[in-house]
Parts: sequence; C-alpha cells; structure tokens
Amino acid sequence: MAILEEPFEGVLELQNYVDGDWIESEGEMRDVVNPATMKTIARVPISTQDEFDEAVAAAQAIYPEWRRTPPLARARCLFRLKELMEEHFEELSRVQTMEHGKTIDESRGETRRGIEMVEVATGIPTLMMGYNLEDIASGIDEYLIRQPLGVFGIIGPYNFPFMVPLWFAPFAVATGNCVVVKPSSEDPISQLKIVELAEEAGIPEGVWNVVNGGRSVVSAMLDHHDIQGVCFVGSTPVGRDVVYERCGAAGKRVICQCGAKNYAVVMPDADIERTVASCMTSFFGNTGQRCLANANLLVAGEGLDATSLDAFYKDVVDAFVEASSRITIGYGLDEAVQMGPLRDRAKKDRVLSYIQKGIDEGATLRLDGREFELVNDLPRDCFLGPTVFEDVTPDMTIAREEIFGPVACMMKADSLDEAIETIHGNPFGNAASIFTDSGRWAREFQYRVECGNIGVNIGIAAPMAFFPFSGMKDSFFGDLHGQGQEAVRFFTESKVVIQRWF
Amino acid sequence: MSEGPLTASAIISFSTDLEARSAGFYRELAQRFREHAGTFAGWAEDCEKSSTQVTRTYQETITDALEAGFSFAGLSLAAYEVDVDLPPGIGLDQALEEAIALEGHAIAFYQKVAERSDSLLATIPRAFRRVARTRRRRLEKLEALG
Repeated sequence: MAILEEPFEGVLELQNYVDGDWIESEGEMRDVVNPATMKTIARVPISTQDEFDEAVAAAQAIYPEWRRTPPLARARCLFRLKELMEEHFEELSRVQTMEHGKTIDESRGETRRGIEMVEVATGIPTLMMGYNLEDIASGIDEYLIRQPLGVFGIIGPYNFPFMVPLWFAPFAVATGNCVVVKPSSEDPISQLKIVELAEEAGIPEGVWNVVNGGRSVVSAMLDHHDIQGVCFVGSTPVGRDVVYERCGAAGKRVICQCGAKNYAVVMPDADIERTVASCMTSFFGNTGQRCLANANLLVAGEGLDATSLDAFYKDVVDAFVEASSRITIGYGLDEAVQMGPLRDRAKKDRVLSYIQKGIDEGATLRLDGREFELVNDLPRDCFLGPTVFEDVTPDMTIAREEIFGPVACMMKADSLDEAIETIHGNPFGNAASIFTDSGRWAREFQYRVECGNIGVNIGIAAPMAFFPFSGMKDSFFGDLHGQGQEAVRFFTESKVVIQRWF
Repeated sequence: MSEGPLTASAIISFSTDLEARSAGFYRELAQRFREHAGTFAGWAEDCEKSSTQVTRTYQETITDALEAGFSFAGLSLAAYEVDVDLPPGIGLDQALEEAIALEGHAIAFYQKVAERSDSLLATIPRAFRRVARTRRRRLEKLEALG
C-alpha cells in the first residue's frame, strides 16, 4: 500500500500573518512535532500580547473599508478562496496528517468540511438579508438590517486544526467583520496555509489575520477592548471558566464549544453489522480525539428479558471488539492505516491513566490498546491501539469523564428510558446516537435527549456547514453556535429602522 | 502490491493508477496502430477524464462523518490487477485481446467498489458506475474492431 509523499521537507519557521504581511515574532519558538515520526516539522512562535494587539489594530483599521465592501464582492473573494482550497486540496490534507497525525482520509474529510464552510459563507448576500414591513402606521415603514460589528477573535483547537476556525472565520469575514485567528500551537501549519490562500483570493490586508501563540494571546484576546466577540473550541474548564466568564464580564459575544462524553445507544432491532461499522469511525476516528466521538456504547434491552438482553449485549460487544481488533495503526500518510497516533505523548499518557482507572474500578478490559502493532517502522511514543472495556457502569470514571482517546466503554441498560436517563446523568450534552429500525424509538430519543447533535443510525452526528454546530449543558457556553445562519447572527447585530418621509 | 485493509484512500489511489496505466496503454496502441490512432488517443484522454472525475467526486464527498477508513473491508485488489505491458511486435488482433482483458478487469473493479460503497458513501458509487459505463462502451467498440 502506498505511503503518500509528504508535502514539504525540513523544518518550517512559522510566522504570524498580520495586515497582509508575514511577520517574525519576538516570542519564544516552539517545536511542532509530527506525532507519527516524532520529527520536528516546524517551529511556531508563542507571540506576545503586543503582537496580538498589533493584529487587532490592523484589523480595526481596515474594518470600515471592508464593512463598506458590498456583500457580493466579499462573497466573490470567498468563491476564489474556495477554488484555491480545491486546487490545494491534497496539499492541505497531507499537511494536516503531518501536523496532527490523523489518517489521510480523515484529513481529506476535514479539508472538505472546511471548504464547505467557505461555500456556505459565499451565500452571504442572501443569508445577511433583513426584513421589512411597510405602513406599520400610515406612511411609516419599519425594517431590520444586519450589520457587522468589527473584529472577532478565534481560538482553534488541536484536534481539527484546519476545519474548526473555518466554522467561524468565513462567516465573520463574509458579514463584513475582520478576524484574528489563534491556531493551536500544537498544529498551526494548516491555518497559515489558509491565509496564504486568502491573500491570493484577494481578501484585503488586515481582514484575516493569524497570530500564533498560547495563553498570553488568548488572554490578550479576552481583554482587548476592540475584540467584539470570541469563538473558542476546547476543553470545558477553559471554555466555561476562562473564556465564557471573561467574555461575559467584558460584554463580548462568545461561542464556546467544549468537552463531551457521547453515547451510542444500540436498540434490539439495530443492524449490528452496520452499527459496528459506523461505530468504528465514531469511537476511533481521529484516534478518539473529537468532541463528536462516541465514547460509551449503551446496549438498551427495550422489550427484552434479562437473558435476551445479555445475549444481545454479548453479540454487540463481541462484534465491536472483533472489528476494533482489526484496526490498523500507523502513519496517516500510509493508505493502509485506519488510525493514526494521538497528538502527543502527554495526551497518550493521559489516556493510559484512564485505561488504568478503568481496570482499577473493575471494568473488564476486553481489548487492551496498550498492546498494539504498528504498520510502519516508527517510534511508538504517541501511538495507542483501540481499547474496549465492557461491563462499565455509569458511575465509573471512564464512563463519566472525557478521555479524548481511543477508549470505548460497553454498557447495558434495561430500556430506552434507562438509557436516556443514563445519558442525562452526564454533565455533557454534545452528541448522542441511537441505532434502531424503529421510528418511534428514534423520535423518542431525539425528542428527549439533552444533547445538541443527534445521530439516528449515524455514528458521528456532524452538522453540515449550513446547520449550526449545536451543543448543550457543559458542552456549550453561549447563545448562538458556529456554522450556518447562527454564525451569521453571531457576527452581526440587528438594527431596526423606522422611517417616515414628510 | 501488498494489501492492508482497504481504506477509501487506497481504493481511489488504485482507481487513479488504473486509469493512468490504461491511458498509457491506449497511447501506446495509438502509436503502434496508426490506422486507429484517433480512437485509441481518444480513449487515453477518456481515462484521464475518468481519473479526474473519480478523484474530484471523492474529494467532494469525503468527510469525517463517513466510514471511509472501513468501507471496503474484505475486498481484495489483487483480483483486479491488470497487465498493460504490450509485448513488442504483436499484431492488432492480439493487442485488442489485451485491451478487452484490461477493460474486463477494470469494469469488474468499478462495479464491485460501487456496490461496496453504496450504503456508506454518497456520490462515490455513482462516479464508479459512470466509469464502468464508459469502459463498457469502450469494450463494445473494441469487440467491434476485432
């Protein structure tokens, strides 16, 4: 099977992109390491607060001109950006595999999702329309217009380094705002590739900026008077206790998409073969590092007696374990690989600690991901195989806490009601899936479950770009979500005008 | 080619490689059998177009929501390997037999992967079936040439 060529060689010295210029940072430089090969592939600056402030100033300076650019002209820039992304599709994808570790299919999927965001944002002339009514009183008309606000900050996560900032930036820019994006310092290269293309697409200097960095840049973003709002994707403690809280205190708009512990409920009438195939991508895709990953598989014995439930549970778990054991692990640029490494060693150690907790708390280890074979001859530092625990109960740590790695917990419930109550016992509310042939059970599930993204016979309920990326409870903080029309609402204010002509 | 599990990426790579080799094969035929140069050169171009169509469709369809890493489990590509090397000095009849064998293998491949991707991927199976249809028409013309 082919190992695809890496799109670049050597170590890239990354810079910030501010006001149309590539600028060397004064900040400390950190290594960006390919987690599959453990080779340094880039060095990224940890920028200073001053450097962030300069980016905001540049964005603020160009904002009046960009805001006056007709929406159709703004959309045309995004049309060109979309075309450039298509031209560079494979390069963008391979960069993501190198910097993150995900497989090439996963990277291409991420590239596609990112491009879809740009595509939807090109519809801004329609999406941004307001509405009106004549003669609210005789000779007096009233209308609503949507107006941009200024400069927004975007904080990208490490797990989808290319796609996630695109949940926000194209919509912000299309609506006439300017942005300063802070990519994850773990895998920032693909975001810098995007702004190279944005510049080529004709998006003016200062409209779309990238400042690399860490906490100092985040803090500067949260404190800056000219930042009208912040979009964040990351952990719940940071999202809720830092970003959401400080934005609220400062009167900034905020979107915080945070952590998750998602359930896949398997009903007795589910197609086991197709369910398990779907679950492989759901539980182990992106090496489990996704907020939409299912982590707990809950076999619900609606209408079954105890013996039948045990038998059904065994069938499902056996099929799941068998499929999991066949997953090939290695470098994501190898087309035979189905699961890449975790992003770094620290993340692997964290997952290992959860595996130990599962053992210590009495769950049965059916498949031990610590024992794995690699397809390629590579350092094992960040790799881990799929792990499956069975006989997990909701009170166990591995059932309650977000592991963010390739660990699946098999659980049982007597009924759909009990399954739903189990899901509700968890503080997160990002996603949940049900596998069933029954419309009634599916409707009951979607109606009652307190999660924002619901899958019916779908393992990863990832909303398309023209829908919002939802989330509830400890998985989301804010009022409006990213993507689609909600993003347009987030990045604009509604101005209502009442007019009369004497 | 050693085989691991067949990811979507692996299938697409096999397809692009198949089309590229087929294009090379037909260009060679165009060189050797000048009386049919136009036809063979046209087929070489069609192979390149098929490759572009499949790749573009895959790139437009692949998303993180699809089971792209696990779609083609159990399929073996070895059964669809083709030999496109034309021995020197062979006559038109023998060359046409080689071409017919090539098309037969390719059609079988595209039909099989279309069937396997039906339930999991979106427009990919349609792209595969389109290539299969193109090749079936070519096969008919090859048989008529013989």
